[in-house]
Amino acid sequence: MSAGKYMEKKRECGIRDIFRRTFFIDFIKGLMVTLRYNLSKSVTVRYPDTEKWVPFPRYRGVHTLNRDEKGRELCVACELCARACPTKCITVVPMEDDTGRGIADRVAKVWKVDLVRCLFCGYCEDACPTFALRLGKDYERACTDVSCALLDREELLGPAEVPWSFDGGVVVGARFERGKGGIKVAADLSDEKSPWFERQ
Amino acid sequence: MLDSALILELAIMFIKVFVVGSVLFALPIPLTWLERKVAGHIQVRLGPFRVGPHGVLQPLADMIKMLLKEDIVPEKADKWLFRLAPIMTLVPTFTVFVAIPFGDKVRIPFTGREVALYISDMNVAVLYILAISGLGIYGIIFGGWASNSKYALLGGLRSAAQMISYEVAMSFAVIGVVMLSNSLSLVEIVKSQSGGFLHWNFFYLPVGPLWFIIFIIAGFAETNRIPFDMPEDEGSLGAGYHVEYSGMRFAYYMLAEYVAMVTVSVLAVIFFFGGWNPPFNLPFHLTGETAMFVNGGWNAEFLNLLAAVIPLFWFAGKVAVFIYSFMWIRFTLPRYRYDQLMRIGWRVLIPLSMVNILVTGFMRI
Repeated sequence: MSAGKYMEKKRECGIRDIFRRTFFIDFIKGLMVTLRYNLSKSVTVRYPDTEKWVPFPRYRGVHTLNRDEKGRELCVACELCARACPTKCITVVPMEDDTGRGIADRVAKVWKVDLVRCLFCGYCEDACPTFALRLGKDYERACTDVSCALLDREELLGPAEVPWSFDGGVVVGARFERGKGGIKVAADLSDEKSPWFERQ
Repeated sequence: MLDSALILELAIMFIKVFVVGSVLFALPIPLTWLERKVAGHIQVRLGPFRVGPHGVLQPLADMIKMLLKEDIVPEKADKWLFRLAPIMTLVPTFTVFVAIPFGDKVRIPFTGREVALYISDMNVAVLYILAISGLGIYGIIFGGWASNSKYALLGGLRSAAQMISYEVAMSFAVIGVVMLSNSLSLVEIVKSQSGGFLHWNFFYLPVGPLWFIIFIIAGFAETNRIPFDMPEDEGSLGAGYHVEYSGMRFAYYMLAEYVAMVTVSVLAVIFFFGGWNPPFNLPFHLTGETAMFVNGGWNAEFLNLLAAVIPLFWFAGKVAVFIYSFMWIRFTLPRYRYDQLMRIGWRVLIPLSMVNILVTGFMRI
C-alpha cells in the first residue's frame, strides 16, 4: 500500500468540517493553547539560585540519629537497623556507657552508614524501636570523593539543616553558596514560597 | 572622474551595506535568546536564566563555546566542498537584503540630503530575491554531499526535493503579489499598499489572504523550519545535512537559518502587510517634504527625523510579529512526514495557487 493511500482515511464532509479545514480552526486552537502557556507563569523551581524544595515529612533522605529532649542519644545500639537493611550498609558496634550519654546504658560505639550502597528504602527507620534513626530531608549528597558517602555517628547526630518541627512539602527561598569546601544551597526556612504544582 | 558627489554617494552606499550587514550578523544573537525564551515559556519553563539578567548573555556564552570548539573535518569528506558549503549557504541569505527596502527616501536632518533606506531599488527585485534565495539550497546540498555521511546526504537530498517543490508555490505566491501591485520592484510594491491597512495586499479579499497563506507555508518550507524541517529531522537523521559540522561552520548554518527566517518575515511584511506603511492614516501627512513647511528651522528638522524613524518602527514591528509567530508555530506543531510534505507542496499549494492566479487575474481586469 502506498503512503498516499494510507493517508486517505475516510473523512467527514459536513459543512462544519469544511469550514474547520478551510479556516485552519484546529491549527488556530493549537496556537491559542501554546499562547496561553506562553503567557502563563513558569513552574520552574529556580533551585540552586534562589529557591529550594523542602520535601514532605515522610521523605526518605539521608539518615539522621536523634536525641531526646534532654539531649541524650536515643540509639540503644540494638542493631535491628543493621539486620533490617537489605544491602547491609549499616554497621553498628555497641558499647556500655552509664554516663548518661544515651537513654539506656548501651550506646553505639560505632554507627556508620555507607550511602553508596544504601537504597533509601526506610526499613532501618521502621525497625528502630526508639525512633533514634530517621531518614531526614537532606538530598544534596553530590561530592567528588566516595569517602563523603560514608557517614558516621558524629555527623548523623549533628543538627539537621531542616529541623523535624518544620513540616516541609514547600519551596523555600535559598542562596547558592560557592565556598572552599564546595558548593552549598542554603535554605531560608522563613521565606516560604508556593510549591511548583500550585504555580501557573 | 571622481568628484566629491560621487565619493559621497559611494561612502553612503558603503555605510548602508555595512549597517545592513552588521545588523544581520548581530541579529541571530538576540533571536537565539528569544527563541529559547519562547520555547521555555511555551513549555512552562523559564529558558536560559543564569548568564546575565534573564539569560540575555547566553548567546554570547554560546558563541564563545562555538569559537573554542574543535573544527572537525571528517577524514573521508570532500574537504574543499565541506569548507565551502556553509559559506555558500550564508552568502545568498545576506545577498538577498541588497534588494530589500526598509523604508522610503528620508531627509537627513541639518543637511537636506536625501538618503534611501534601501541599498538598491531594482526594477526586478522580486526575481532577484527568488533567484538568490534559491541559491542557498546549494550550500545545504553540498554540505550533505561533502560530509560523506548517510544522514547528512539524506538531509541534503530531502532539502533539495523540498526546496524545489516549494520554490514553485512560493514563486506563484509572489506572482500573485506582482499582479496585485502591478510591479516587480519592492519599493513600488510597498508604495502600492500605502493608505491604511485596507490597502494592504493581505486585505485584497478574497485572494489576498490565500496568497499570504500559500506564501507563508512555502516560506516555512524554504527556511527549513518546523513543521517542515525535514532536512534536519533529528528523530530520523541525527541532525540532517549539518550532522558532521561543528564549531564555527555549524554556527554559519545556524546564522543562515536565522537570517533566512528574518528574510521570509521581511518579505511577508513587504508583500502582504504594507512594508513600512502605517496601518492607519495619520491625520497629517508626515514627510520630510511637507515638514519643511510646518514651522521651518529646528522643528522641521525634528519632524524630518521623526518621519525617517517612524516607518522603520512600523517595519520592524511587523517583522517582529512574524518572527515571533515563526517561533510560536515551531513550538506548536509537530513535524510533517516526508510524503505529507510533498503532498502539501504538489497537490495542494500548486493547484491552489494556479486557481488563485486565475481569480486574481479576473479581479484585476
